Amino acid sequence: MTSVDRSHTRPDGGVSSGRLIRHTGIDRLYHWCMAAAVVTLLATGFLPVVGVKFGWVEPHWIAGSVLAVLVLVHIVRASFFQDIWAMVVVPTDVRDAWRELRHAFGRGGPAPGKPGKYELLQKLYHAGAALVVLSAIVTGGMMMVKIDTPFWKRNPYWLSDSTWGVVYVVHGFAALATLTLLMIHVYFAIRPEKLWMTRSMIVGWITRDEYTEHHDSARWTADPADSGRRS
Amino acid sequence: MELFRVTRNPWGQETLVGVSWDLLWWFVGAGAVFIVVHALWTGISRFRRRRHASADRQGAST
Repeated sequence: MTSVDRSHTRPDGGVSSGRLIRHTGIDRLYHWCMAAAVVTLLATGFLPVVGVKFGWVEPHWIAGSVLAVLVLVHIVRASFFQDIWAMVVVPTDVRDAWRELRHAFGRGGPAPGKPGKYELLQKLYHAGAALVVLSAIVTGGMMMVKIDTPFWKRNPYWLSDSTWGVVYVVHGFAALATLTLLMIHVYFAIRPEKLWMTRSMIVGWITRDEYTEHHDSARWTADPADSGRRS
Repeated sequence: MELFRVTRNPWGQETLVGVSWDLLWWFVGAGAVFIVVHALWTGISRFRRRRHASADRQGAST
């Protein structure tokens, strides 16, 4: 893949850098804050399980609260200020994935189309991550009733023991699934052919060549990085 | 392998207290298996594509 960063003439006569915005600053900030919160939660949740003993409860609930706020802000932002359909699986995604699979097995047929901003597997990953993270947040929030915080005193009798058991099980499975999903996420982030996406999550932009090679401009219009507009 | 951790309350009833921590290594293993299988699949696909491209070039030159 070539990724020559060519300049282009803007409509106003100025010269564009040829870079297009994939992730705005606020979205990158959200992503890395969420990453820090999730890693803190997994470390404080699982290190004691494997024998590393420390006072994990306080950093765990604080990181969980930060994650809950971040996810809430993300839901509001994605629903009302961004194109939420960019992350929703649509029939075109399934059709293209099927065509891709046929080509991978040498079956031929129509060529698969390019995705919009996100491809099918990214959308499915996002849906899975949303499910497990929301499950962990809801059950974690319920479990906070059982600990003393600066805001309230603990109440261990809010639910019956059997109901608490279900809450713990859901929280545990969600945490374990998050660990697997994080491993897969980091693996894809460091794969050589995906580094352009990882770079865009750090610096925000992709080159026009990367946009042309990987995206359908009819399904996702990216703004120039020097346009001052938001993608 | 146990799926859940249980305890007995003072009345002898079994109470659920969470998932079994043995599952931690199963979930880590599942992630590792996915990564290895995907890396192998990608490597094999790339090899096959190169072989086909090379065969196409040879066919065109003869």
